Amino acid sequence: MIYLRLFLSFMKIGFCSFGGMTMVPVINDEVLRYGWMTAAEVMDIVAVAEMTPGSLGINCATFVGLRTAGLSGALCASLGVMMPSLTLSMAAAHFIFRLKGNKFLESALRGVRPASMGMLAAAAVTLGLHTYFPEGAISWNMILIAGISSFLLIRKKLSIPKTILTAAVLGLIFG
Amino acid sequence: MGRCRRLGTIFFIMAKIGLFTFGGGWSIIAQMQNEFVDKRHWMTEEQVVDYMSLAKSFPGVMIINMSVFCGYAMAGVSGAAAAAVGLSAPALVSIALVTYFYSSLRDNVWMEKILCGVRSVVVPIIISACLKLRKTAIQGRSAYMILAVTFVICVLSEINKLLVVGAALIAGLLIWRGEIPDDLS
Repeated sequence: MIYLRLFLSFMKIGFCSFGGMTMVPVINDEVLRYGWMTAAEVMDIVAVAEMTPGSLGINCATFVGLRTAGLSGALCASLGVMMPSLTLSMAAAHFIFRLKGNKFLESALRGVRPASMGMLAAAAVTLGLHTYFPEGAISWNMILIAGISSFLLIRKKLSIPKTILTAAVLGLIFG
Repeated sequence: MGRCRRLGTIFFIMAKIGLFTFGGGWSIIAQMQNEFVDKRHWMTEEQVVDYMSLAKSFPGVMIINMSVFCGYAMAGVSGAAAAAVGLSAPALVSIALVTYFYSSLRDNVWMEKILCGVRSVVVPIIISACLKLRKTAIQGRSAYMILAVTFVICVLSEINKLLVVGAALIAGLLIWRGEIPDDLS
């Protein structure tokens, strides 16, 4: 039963990974094991995931599901990859909601909040180095686009969807 | 507002956010804080900041975890489901299209240029989220210490975020010990 297998495989991928590129090796193992795709096609997924909005995990599940068993396959695989969120995160959300106002939870969260900012800032730096300085070179046109869109986003308070569309147009001009 | 209407709104806003999520998912934070905190007041900034680190440290897809946490906070279990499905819906449609046209898109020069523009804007979006949330997240000198240590660790290593968030949680408990001071200097 291909649908069940897709669901279970992607559930396993979900539980064994922590998002982003950490998913690629786990995805690789699963889809190669069942012969759903070749190693070259797995690399294509990463490229497709970059072209489309959404996270690598969902995009990958949809892509593999669609290739192997059509639209219903895509749905099964996507649902599978969502399972950790729908179980673990749901339980945690419930737990936190119950404990709201608890002094010890508040103390713990006061420690977690600056850590959130640290992770967010670190993501900006890591991604920035990767994007604007690919393999040691300096990508001036991307820095220019980033500069213009920062101005529009932060100073002019342009909404995020509009900023992304503007950046796409700027990409056509300067890219 | 009726419950069904709220669920519908959550679904459609999440679908819109899903349509504009590029580059690893951190850009979702700025969009969610804009839609649900600034525009609708359905969540607080504290909640966005708290859920962000939890979403990152739990297994699975970070942005789906984030949708579940926020959806639950706004409308319980059905809110969480609406948010998660809403966020994934655009991916389903766009992947279907891209898969179909993949071979012609892969070597297309214009596509390359558009993606170059879109990739350039991800970092500014993340920075805008940092700027907006920093006052809520960082209160007091100890908070700056935690921020600095987390930042350095995350830039220099590929450490599992569960460890980072767990350590920060313990640090918070040890520093404040259940006492929340009124002066947030």
